Amino acid sequence: MHATQWAFRPKSIAVLGSVLGLAAFWSAIPPFTARSPLVPILIGVLAIAAGLWAVTRGTRRLGWGAIASGVIGLGLGLLATRSSSANLHVVFAADLIAQVFVFATPLTFGALGGMVSERSGVVNVGLEGMMLMGAFWGVYGADKGGSWVVGILVALAAGGLFALVHAYWSIHLRANQIVSGMAINFLALGVTGYFFEQLYGNKNIPSGVSTVPNVALPGIDHVKYLGAAIGNLNLLIWVGILFVPLSYFVLFKTPIGLRVRACGEHPRAADTVGINVYAVRYAAVLVSGMLAALGGAFLSIGFGGGSFTENMTEGRGFIALAAMIFGNWRPFGAWGAALLFGFSTALAFRLPVYSSSAATLFQTLPYVLTLIAVAGVIGRSVPPKADGQPYAKQ
Amino acid sequence: MAEERSPVLELRGITKRYSGSLANDRVDFDLRRGEVHALLGENGAGKSTLMNILYGLTKPDEGEILIDGKPVSFSSAKDAIGAGVGMVHQHFMLIPVMTVAENVVLGTEPVRSGIVLDERAAARRVADMARTFNFAVDPDARVDNITVGQQQRVEIMKALYRNVDVLVLDEPTAVLTPQEAADLFEILRTLRREGISIVFISHKLNEVLEIADRITVLRRGKKIDTVSKEGATEEGLARMMVGRDVLLRVDKTLASPGEVALEVKDLHVLDDRELEKVRGVSFSARGGEIVAIAGVDGNGQTELVEAITGLRPIESGTVAVGGREFEGRLGPRMMIDAGMGHIPEDRHRRGLVLDFNLAENLALHDYDKPPDSRFGWLYPARLVQRAVRLIKEFDIRGGGPLTLARALSGGNQQKVVVAREVARNPVVLVAAQPTRGLDVGAIEYVHRRLVAERDAGHAILLVSLELDEVLSLADRILVMYEGRIVGEHGGDAGEEEIGLEMLGGRKPVAA
Amino acid sequence: MSSQAEPTANVPPEQEPTPDFVVRLGAAQRAGGLVVPVLTAVLAFLAGGIVVAATGHNPWTAYKGIWDGAGFNWLFHIPWDTNTVHLDAFNLSQTLLTMTTLILVGLAVAFPFRCGLFNIGGQGQYLVGLFVANWIGVSFAGWPTLPHVLLGIGAAALAGAVWAGIAGFLKATTGAHEVISTIMLNWIAIWGGQYLFGQGGPLQNTYNPAAPESGTVVQSARIPVFWGNPVLQGLDYGFFVALVALVVFWLILNRTTLGYEVRAVGFNPEAAAYGGINVKTKYIQAMAISGVFAGLAGALDMLGYLFQFGVLDVQASQIGFLGIAVALLGRNTAIGTGIAAFLFGGLLYGTTRGLNPNVFDPSLAGNLTSMIQGLIVLFVGADIFILYIWNARRKLKLRRRAEMAAT
Repeated sequence: MHATQWAFRPKSIAVLGSVLGLAAFWSAIPPFTARSPLVPILIGVLAIAAGLWAVTRGTRRLGWGAIASGVIGLGLGLLATRSSSANLHVVFAADLIAQVFVFATPLTFGALGGMVSERSGVVNVGLEGMMLMGAFWGVYGADKGGSWVVGILVALAAGGLFALVHAYWSIHLRANQIVSGMAINFLALGVTGYFFEQLYGNKNIPSGVSTVPNVALPGIDHVKYLGAAIGNLNLLIWVGILFVPLSYFVLFKTPIGLRVRACGEHPRAADTVGINVYAVRYAAVLVSGMLAALGGAFLSIGFGGGSFTENMTEGRGFIALAAMIFGNWRPFGAWGAALLFGFSTALAFRLPVYSSSAATLFQTLPYVLTLIAVAGVIGRSVPPKADGQPYAKQ
Repeated sequence: MAEERSPVLELRGITKRYSGSLANDRVDFDLRRGEVHALLGENGAGKSTLMNILYGLTKPDEGEILIDGKPVSFSSAKDAIGAGVGMVHQHFMLIPVMTVAENVVLGTEPVRSGIVLDERAAARRVADMARTFNFAVDPDARVDNITVGQQQRVEIMKALYRNVDVLVLDEPTAVLTPQEAADLFEILRTLRREGISIVFISHKLNEVLEIADRITVLRRGKKIDTVSKEGATEEGLARMMVGRDVLLRVDKTLASPGEVALEVKDLHVLDDRELEKVRGVSFSARGGEIVAIAGVDGNGQTELVEAITGLRPIESGTVAVGGREFEGRLGPRMMIDAGMGHIPEDRHRRGLVLDFNLAENLALHDYDKPPDSRFGWLYPARLVQRAVRLIKEFDIRGGGPLTLARALSGGNQQKVVVAREVARNPVVLVAAQPTRGLDVGAIEYVHRRLVAERDAGHAILLVSLELDEVLSLADRILVMYEGRIVGEHGGDAGEEEIGLEMLGGRKPVAA
Repeated sequence: MSSQAEPTANVPPEQEPTPDFVVRLGAAQRAGGLVVPVLTAVLAFLAGGIVVAATGHNPWTAYKGIWDGAGFNWLFHIPWDTNTVHLDAFNLSQTLLTMTTLILVGLAVAFPFRCGLFNIGGQGQYLVGLFVANWIGVSFAGWPTLPHVLLGIGAAALAGAVWAGIAGFLKATTGAHEVISTIMLNWIAIWGGQYLFGQGGPLQNTYNPAAPESGTVVQSARIPVFWGNPVLQGLDYGFFVALVALVVFWLILNRTTLGYEVRAVGFNPEAAAYGGINVKTKYIQAMAISGVFAGLAGALDMLGYLFQFGVLDVQASQIGFLGIAVALLGRNTAIGTGIAAFLFGGLLYGTTRGLNPNVFDPSLAGNLTSMIQGLIVLFVGADIFILYIWNARRKLKLRRRAEMAAT
């Protein structure tokens, strides 16, 4: 397809509409801080129009997403114009964007991990546990090994180990995959808490543990708004962002990805053309555990600065699961959902400027959105067809 | 005209046993290069077993397979493909959300730069194949967006992509419309021209005579004969497929039918794929007679029974039970309450809750009414009482009222289902393949029971794939082929006549 | 024509559908009897003991410490001294208190399991019941005890039913998987609690605005204690309510038409539908009933001994999840759930407040509980496997015996 053709197909217009909706809101907050309500209205109307156009051309899910984005962006933008400029600058300071990435990164790793596993046909609700393992053993490795690289490797091993257990239970024993995943979560809680107490009795990781460095973007990190936003983010954040197009490429543009998806949709068909379904699923679950562990490592030795607390993940593994579902088992969709959920969490911490109670309730947004998604209100959220069904080789 | 050289494929003396019965009994089969060789036989004749062996899904107990004169042994489908044998299953092995091209190349994908999937190369090769064989399939279309006929062609392309010499098609027209079937035959002729040898498995006489060069007939695991197309007739083939020694018929007196208990008028029913499976069926059954619907599996009987018993919506037409007329979306409860009993064709799926005990299973239709329960409170003692009575009356062996249904033998499980339905004195009893999977003793029991019910004045609608059973039990026989009733006979009709109609031998009466 | 023994052309190679996990679990239950759950628990404790030993502690003293902490040693000191000033008696009373909650959250998982549903939302349903009970317990001061308590319990049970019913409703109408929806509802409840009890929240206490805690349940709404000193947290009559709940669970499943239908749907939804049962309605009803159990647990806790709950408590509470282990170990039966609740109640209390810190570090012990919990759930999942081995060995023995008899 020609470039212009590609730019004007309904799917692209729908994506543009969603972005415009975001822009409608963003125009009214720093750094743009437009005060006239016309600005968000105009942009929002454009977004809605783009979405409508896409819907009439058949792109329903993305089109309605654009319309929703336009409506919400318009509404929020209007609200912002009515708020005092000072409040806006407190809440929407430049480092909010940095915080969005901080919250979104473990979710991104987790969601991508969950996606890989489920695309091959194995449900993984044990992401929370694998993430927690990565968090604790990552900081342990960095501490005892003297370097954050060792920490990362140990984290990957820990997450991978639990993933192997889940894989064996799900694939060879054909146990119920949700039971197995929940068991992993309980086990991880117990194991990490136990060894945290055992190895670091006074419940404190000694200071000075090697942590994953931040990446200062040359030239940008001194620019006024951009610098505070993305000029000095942790390396793992960039790794996480990188994994999104990477996983898209592997899953949709390579033979391996095709085979993984075949195993998740119709394992018998894959089997009859000679694909080793068991091996593919083992590999996918292993990768998913390692990705989740990376997300956990970010919590302890990335952003966490070399610290650990019991149950550090606090449900992030489940939010990651929600992001995966909300993103329809696609890399960019999951990432978008992770950013959205990260944004709502980051915002929730700043909303006490307006209202403390509202801030707390705002934290339920990711879960409410996911409920709506699974209920199929915004179009069917369709998992891989054979997701969760054990495969018995003939 | 096939040349005289060693056949491209040969099966010699293939024998396979399944728990005591001979599925294949020293079967010989050979396929010449560039011919279409049909394998003809009824359900249970041994066709599928033979092909499973050929395709590496099972190993034969005796006999050998030769490809181009050399003996081979297959332990998986991959081996078979490697040896040049491709199979188009009746149930497609396609991934609905992926494109045609992706499905065809899965497992042997073309790559560029080492790791990138070369989608364009795949699409190009598929398009080339489609052009060569006149397939009319878009390589970039998603499989769940194309027709069943096109999906079948994708399955064929999967085999061709892997350079097979032999293509085995298992009942390929079972899922096709007549027009699609005609298109398929054109494709088969093209394939034959290109030098591909084809095994065509079917039970439909007219098709086989149209497309095949040679025809091999299987019956009860044995090869009866291999004939060439010239000189073969439908009657001759039917006689080979179906003819046998006359079996013992159940002793029964002549029927004296009474009131009309079941009346079906111009019924049209769609299957799960929204294809019309029942195309305007009308008939009636009176109390005191057994009406049997004979036919080969897949001609709409399953959907007909599901519609009559309320498990599937009716597209158009009506069903009247005991005088009350129903149409549209029925429910099983409705039909049960109207006086219909149903012995389902799959007792494990629909007929029984295997993990319930006999008392609970026998109460499936009555548990929520007195005396089994009152205001939602269950009285297990009553359930047991009923079970004790029915176990005795119907001679159910293998356990008592508290035994789990799972623990009983197939025959006794079926007795439980029969007991439950018959004990309610239904006005009309629909029995769908009631003796499937049963041993001889159990079959005899069920047959005697059905006749007893008939003699008690109830109407019986028997739907069966076994011609023996139909001929033995029925007072009236209706033959169903491709969704229509193509023939109506008395209970003493000739086997061959009915067999012929079952296999599509006669043109259907305009419906 | 011979009966069909060979595969027909029309049936795909897998003849029988792989039986559902719930069905297999039920089959495992029947086949294994008591052996398999006991074996599972023993294995889990063994594995836990290995971890303890590997980290340099004495597993025997650790487990003995937990045993004593749970008050199980009291059972063996006959004649029984019921004065809870003495540690043994007190520990056991606390174990039974924990058992009360665990019975109910266990039933909240077990009941829907019998209908083929996996309810992971016990925690959220428990919390919702707890919130409502707190609200009722704090308000309506001046009511006589019995109606006040009944109102609290009733409202809490209703709240739990609604909370769980949402998941059931979503499953029935949209097919949304109950695992996902209940997990989401859990978190919504947790954040809801933080909102309710937090600063400025509607249920925050009125005497200390800086403390993010709920109000205190008034005296008239507190369930009376029958064993121990109410001031020092004794065992209240809620314990009997839990025992009655076990009986009610059994009665519903085995003596009502609803229970018949629930079990039928759990075993074989197609046959159930054929028998005229509305499967979708069953899903909603099963989830609602499970919510009643969980909400009741929250009410009994709040009105029985907690009397107050803070934001931190909401965040730390994990008891609903323990219900999953209880139900699975108890094979989703009434008796099994009761026994498993007793075991886990002892384990939970015995590793936390009941544990003598000099014997074994309570922090370690608490995590040991989580590990054992995880192992039990894991092993239950592999039940089939253990069963298969057990069955295979049994068949082998039988065959050998038959062969020897034949010669």
